Amino acid sequence: MDREEFVLVRDMVRSLATRHGVTSADEVKPSTRAAAQQALDELDLAELRRTSPPAATAQECALLAEEHGRRPLTTSLLGTVLLAPELLRLLGASTSPAIPTIAFTRELRFPGRTPTDLVAWDSEGADSALCVTTDGTVSRVELGPSAPSTDLVRTVRAVPSDAPVEVVGQLAADDQLRWQAYALVVVTAELVGAAGSFVEQAVQYARDRRQYGQAIGSFQAVQHLLADATVLVEACTSVTRYAAWCLDNEPPERALAAARVAKAEVNSSALEAVYAGMQVFGGIAQTWEHIAHLYLRKVRLGSTLLATTAELLPALAVPEVTR
Amino acid sequence: MDFELTEDQETIRKSVAGLLRDFDDQYWMEKDQAHEFPTEFYETVAGGGWLGITIPEEYGGHGLGITEASLLLEEVARSGGGMNAASAIHLSIFGMHPVVVHGSEELKRRTLPRIATGDLHVCFGVTEPGAGLDTASITTYARRDGDHYVVNGRKVWISKAMESEKILLLTRTSKADEVTKRTDGMTLFLTDIDRDRIDIRPIPKMGRNAVTSNELFIDDLRIPVEDRVGEEGQGFRYLLDGLNPERMLIAAEALGIGRASLDKAVQYGKERIVFGRPIGMNQAIQFPLADSLARLDAAELVLRKATWLYDNGRPCGREANTAKYLCADAGFTAADRAVQTHGGMGYSEEYAVARYFREARLMRIAPISQEMILNYLGSHTLGLPRSY
Ligand SMILES: Cc1cc2nc3c(=O)[nH]c(=O)nc-3n(C[C@H](O)[C@H](O)[C@H](O)COP(=O)(O)OP(=O)(O)OC[C@H]3O[C@@H](n4cnc5c(N)ncnc54)[C@H](O)[C@@H]3O)c2cc1C
Repeated sequence: MDREEFVLVRDMVRSLATRHGVTSADEVKPSTRAAAQQALDELDLAELRRTSPPAATAQECALLAEEHGRRPLTTSLLGTVLLAPELLRLLGASTSPAIPTIAFTRELRFPGRTPTDLVAWDSEGADSALCVTTDGTVSRVELGPSAPSTDLVRTVRAVPSDAPVEVVGQLAADDQLRWQAYALVVVTAELVGAAGSFVEQAVQYARDRRQYGQAIGSFQAVQHLLADATVLVEACTSVTRYAAWCLDNEPPERALAAARVAKAEVNSSALEAVYAGMQVFGGIAQTWEHIAHLYLRKVRLGSTLLATTAELLPALAVPEVTR
Repeated sequence: MDFELTEDQETIRKSVAGLLRDFDDQYWMEKDQAHEFPTEFYETVAGGGWLGITIPEEYGGHGLGITEASLLLEEVARSGGGMNAASAIHLSIFGMHPVVVHGSEELKRRTLPRIATGDLHVCFGVTEPGAGLDTASITTYARRDGDHYVVNGRKVWISKAMESEKILLLTRTSKADEVTKRTDGMTLFLTDIDRDRIDIRPIPKMGRNAVTSNELFIDDLRIPVEDRVGEEGQGFRYLLDGLNPERMLIAAEALGIGRASLDKAVQYGKERIVFGRPIGMNQAIQFPLADSLARLDAAELVLRKATWLYDNGRPCGREANTAKYLCADAGFTAADRAVQTHGGMGYSEEYAVARYFREARLMRIAPISQEMILNYLGSHTLGLPRSY
């Protein structure tokens, strides 16, 4: 996309977030979920990469994921707009009216050899889910009842174990690496947006909240906590944007390595940044109404999503060609 | 040097653990989810005679020290009850200290024996919307009116107010600008929560939901002079007396929750098989847990030293603050790693580790934040100029 066009799209996501971003856990209700999802559907973004060559770069998609993470949103931008359509694009599947999301294992990992023990992740507004097994087979599975999740804004649904599995296609080996790299970058980018925005809100609070006759932001302890958190967010942002750039410009092995580095960094740094922000908010961040725990939940769970740092480091330790 | 607990102390530890064995994860999960006070647990602890552990014998307690009290609260948190369990009894254990030391004989006779039996529930009202860590900026005002005081103001975060009959209430009897030292002019009461005069509203929280924390709107509350603790204007000083032991007890609770978290993580690391071997066989899983063990053990040692100093009448500010600092950190880190060890599915609310994680954060902020501990160590212990 040219710059102006991208800014337009990003601003649409931003205004969706302004209108439908959740400001307190109690606002998350079926009716508000449906309204937000409808607003997302109206943006018609699932086609962003369906043209050939794709209108939007992977980098632009990662930026949209980042934007989406900045506020707690119930919409499935990641699942139904970015991840599932990318999989269909890689398969060269023709467009259909179905709105699939993505299936992961119940432990929120990429599925193994068979499409079993799955959940449909980020399934708001979805009617099915796509599952990629280790041999590259892509199948469509049905959705069951909603599954409890710690991330209160994200919808996750069970996939019934006895439901039919329809094979949709087969990913070439390279495309499977591309897919994994893309998925890692997109979920990572959303966490970066969340951590960055939460730290900014903590900075604002440090300006406003007064104790001992002065703004708490005037205490070095608070200043440095926030400065460190800002450095962490910067590191997360850079490493993730580089990984996104690799998706557009590097061979798939390189892109996957960069995506793994990004996820490994963000898993720990974004979480540390959120912890720092919560410390600045003091007691108020413990309340149910306060937005802090929505960010905490997203980032805490996000840091174990698809791959923990502990799982990534061994993969990164082996020489790139044999990974 | 002696690192051994005495036989009696060891007995406390074992008896409490034994007494609480039946209050399992299921019990605490249900109480937490239903936002329901753990009455059965409270009654069991009271029935075992534990609530009066530090209350002097002449008022129906055991007159034991902070070492014993900290072992009790550590074991309570470690039993799996975490902060839900600890907060349900915390105030009874040592919160009456200002009354014990400064209260009138009549006030003590009237209240302490009932605390020891568990019959009297109390809460502690200090924090206000504008006065968090900065206690001296409270504005809740008590005006003398004959043999009464008339109190107006607003408190926030008051844990267990909903379930309590009385409140230990910090007020101002002189406004901050009428006194030379900001910490002067505050007066402490132990008085009935008159529901007609105090509107209590629970604050929905992200964790520790079996015990409420509340906003209090106090409107012309009449407090008889007999309910005043000690002298007018000295309230803040009375609280200071109890600060060090209070920090030790919070440290003990943080330690207990850290131990409980580590136990769960280790158990899961042994049981969960991925790629044909237990996940705990990976250094990436094993080392963070080993590191947490080291941190918890080190924090525990400082805590033991602090309680020993206090019980032996020695100065203990440095150790009390250090214990709170290290235990809060080690406890939180252990809970965080327990969640991490359980992975994507582990952080579902059904797992106890998620509950510990939501609770373990608290001790980094309340009742005193990690930063204020460093302020104390920096200025009082190291002698650096006060920075705020
Ligand atoms: C679950 C829960 C239960 C509670 N129960 C009770 C209760 O029963 N009774 C009661 O009275 N209170 C209770 N509290 C209140 C608790 O004591 C306060 O939350 C605590 O004192 C912190 O105050 P604050 O939240 O206003 O944070 P603030 O004072 O606003 O602090 C915000 C941030 O600024 C930092 N900061 C402030 N001053 C300085 C400084 N000088 N130097 C460096 N950093 C600084 C802090 O460390 C913190 O990170 C409870 C709180 C919670 C969360």
